[in-house]
Amino acid sequence: MVKLRDVTRVYNQGRPNEVRPVDGVSLDIDVGEIAVVKGPSGSGKTTLLALIGCMSRPSAGRILVAGRDVAKLPERFLTEVRRETFGFIFQQLHLIPGISVLENIMLPLYPVDIGFSAAKRRALALIEQLDLAQRRRFKVETLSGGERQRVAIARALINQPRAILADEPTAHLDGGLSGELMRIFGDLRSQGKTLVIATHDPLVYDNPLVDRVFTMRDGRVLDDGDGDGGGA
Amino acid sequence: MASGRLGKHLKILEFALSSMLRRRMKNAGLVIVFGAVVFLLSSIVFLTSALRAEALAVLEGAPQLLVQRAMAGRHALIPLRYGETIARLPGVGAVTPRYWGYYYDIYTGANYTLLGIGDARLQAPGATALRLVEGAFIAPRQRGVCVIGAGVARIRGARIGGIVSLRDARGWMQEYEVIGLFESPSRLLTNDLILLAEADLKALFGMPDDGATDLMIEVYNPREVANISRKILERLPDARPIGHAEILRTYETLFNWRGGLLLAMFLGAVAAFMILAWDKATGLSADERREIGILKAIGWETADILALKFWEGAALALVAFLAGVTAGYAHVFYFGAELLAPILKGWSVLFPAIDLEPRIEPYTLTVLFLFTIVPYIVATIVPSWQAAITDPDRVMRSV
Repeated sequence: MVKLRDVTRVYNQGRPNEVRPVDGVSLDIDVGEIAVVKGPSGSGKTTLLALIGCMSRPSAGRILVAGRDVAKLPERFLTEVRRETFGFIFQQLHLIPGISVLENIMLPLYPVDIGFSAAKRRALALIEQLDLAQRRRFKVETLSGGERQRVAIARALINQPRAILADEPTAHLDGGLSGELMRIFGDLRSQGKTLVIATHDPLVYDNPLVDRVFTMRDGRVLDDGDGDGGGA
Repeated sequence: MASGRLGKHLKILEFALSSMLRRRMKNAGLVIVFGAVVFLLSSIVFLTSALRAEALAVLEGAPQLLVQRAMAGRHALIPLRYGETIARLPGVGAVTPRYWGYYYDIYTGANYTLLGIGDARLQAPGATALRLVEGAFIAPRQRGVCVIGAGVARIRGARIGGIVSLRDARGWMQEYEVIGLFESPSRLLTNDLILLAEADLKALFGMPDDGATDLMIEVYNPREVANISRKILERLPDARPIGHAEILRTYETLFNWRGGLLLAMFLGAVAAFMILAWDKATGLSADERREIGILKAIGWETADILALKFWEGAALALVAFLAGVTAGYAHVFYFGAELLAPILKGWSVLFPAIDLEPRIEPYTLTVLFLFTIVPYIVATIVPSWQAAITDPDRVMRSV
C-alpha cells in the first residue's frame, strides 16, 4: 500500500535553524493492516504521517502509494491521490467551527463531481454508523470530545479512501473513549481499510488489533515494525 | 460533465456563503467600508454625468453660431449693424439679435437668466425645447408680464397671476405678472430662466436701442461654421463668434473638471480602500489560513480554494457595490447631492438649486464596477492562492 525509501524532510535547509523531522526513513505498510508509528513528542511522527498522506513533499527519497511514486507529482495530481487514497484524522481534529456536523462531514465531497443529495446521503449513512444522528445539525464546537472525534472519523471516511491516517487520535480522549475508538478502527480494518496511526499512547500501540508498530526517535525509524522497538 | 461542474460550483458557492455568515462581523465591516467608497465614487459620477446631460439638453436646438462682442476681453453689447454686415456673408441665413442677461436675486441668493422675447417665437438657445405647462407665452406687444420655469416658480413660490419683482438698472423695483410656466428637457433651464417681453428686458437692463446681448446666426451648412467665423473676424475684429461645438467643449471641460476635482478630493477615501484591500491581500487571518490548510488536506484542489475565495469576494463586493451605487443614486437624485454641496458652491452660485434628472450611464457604471470590484476580488484571491499552493501540512502547522 505505502512504501517509503530513504525519505528525508528538511525544513530551513542550509540555515542555522535547519531541522530534519524525518531523516532517511524506509518502511512498508501493507493493505488492510493497522500500522502504528510510536515515539515521543517531536520525534517526527506527524511529519512522517504528512509525507505518507501527500500533505507534504519529501526533501529526498521516494514515496510509493499503491505503486505510484508521489514524491515528485505535480500539486494537482498529488491532491487527487490524497483525495482518493487517504482520509485524515488530525491530532487537533481541525473541524470547521460555525458549521454543522453534517456540513463538516460533507466538506471533502464539495469539490467532487457528486450531487448534493448523493453527498448528503453518504454523510447521513456515516452519521448513522458513528452514532451521531442526534447531533447532525449541531455546530461542531458544541459537541463533546468523543463526538468531535467521531465527526473527524466520518469526515475522513466520506471520500471512501483506501487508507486512514490518524495523528494522536486518543490525545483528547479518556480510556473508555480510546477503547471505543480502537473498536471503530478494528471495524474499518475489517472493511479492508489500511490504518496508519501516529501515537505515543500505549492503549493504542499495545492494542491487539495493531499489526505493526514502528518506533521513531529524532526523525528516524528504529525498527522494521515487525517487533517492539522499545517503549515511547 | 457540465452539470457536474455546475453542481460542484453550487456546493462551493453554498460553502462560501456559509463561511461569510460565520465571519459576519468582519464581513459586515468590509461591506460598510467598501459600500462607503462606492457610495462616494458613484455620487460623483452620477452628479457629473447628470450635470453634463443637463448642459447638453440646454444646447439642443441651439444655433450653429453665436456672435458676441468683446471689449478689452469683456463681453459687451453688440451693435445691431454688426448683424447687417454678417447677413451679407455667403452661407449665412437669418441673423437674429438676442436680448438677455444674468440677474442676481438677493432674496434667493441665485443668478437667474432673463431672456427678452421679441415676438411669439422664442429665441433662446434651447428655448425651442421649452414646453408650456400652464398659462400662456408672451404675446406680441404685451408688457409687464413674464413666463417662468416651473423650477423658478417652485423656488420663488410664484404661480400664475403672481408677481415677480426685479430691480432695474436705475434701482427701481419693477413688477411682472406671471402668465405662464414652462418645462424643458433641462432642469437647468426650468430652474434658471425667466422670459420677459423684449422691451421690458431692455428697459430693465437699461440697454440701448441699437445694441443686443448677442446675435444668433443661421448657417446653412454646419461644416462652414469655422469658415464663416473667420470671415466675421476679418470684417469685425472685436466680434467673438462662438460655434456650437465650442460651447459643447466648454460644458464638457467644465463638468469633467468638476468631476475630476471631486474625484481628487475623494482620492483619500479611495486610497484608504486600497490600503484595506492591500492589507487583505498581504495577510490572511490565522483562522482563514488554517481553514485553507484543512480544505487542502481533505482533498480540495488549489483551484477549488480559489473558486471558494472568488465567490466569497464576489458576493461581498457585489452586495457592497449595489448598496453603494443605490445609496449614491438616492443621494444625488433624491437628496440633491447634499454631501457634495460644499464642493459645488461655485456652481450653486451660478445656478439656483435644481433637482437633477435621474439617469444612469452604463459606461460610467461599468468603469466604477471595474475599478472597485475587480481590485477587491484580486486582493481577496491572491493571499488565498499563496496559502493554497503551500503544502497543507505547513499551512496548518504555521498557524
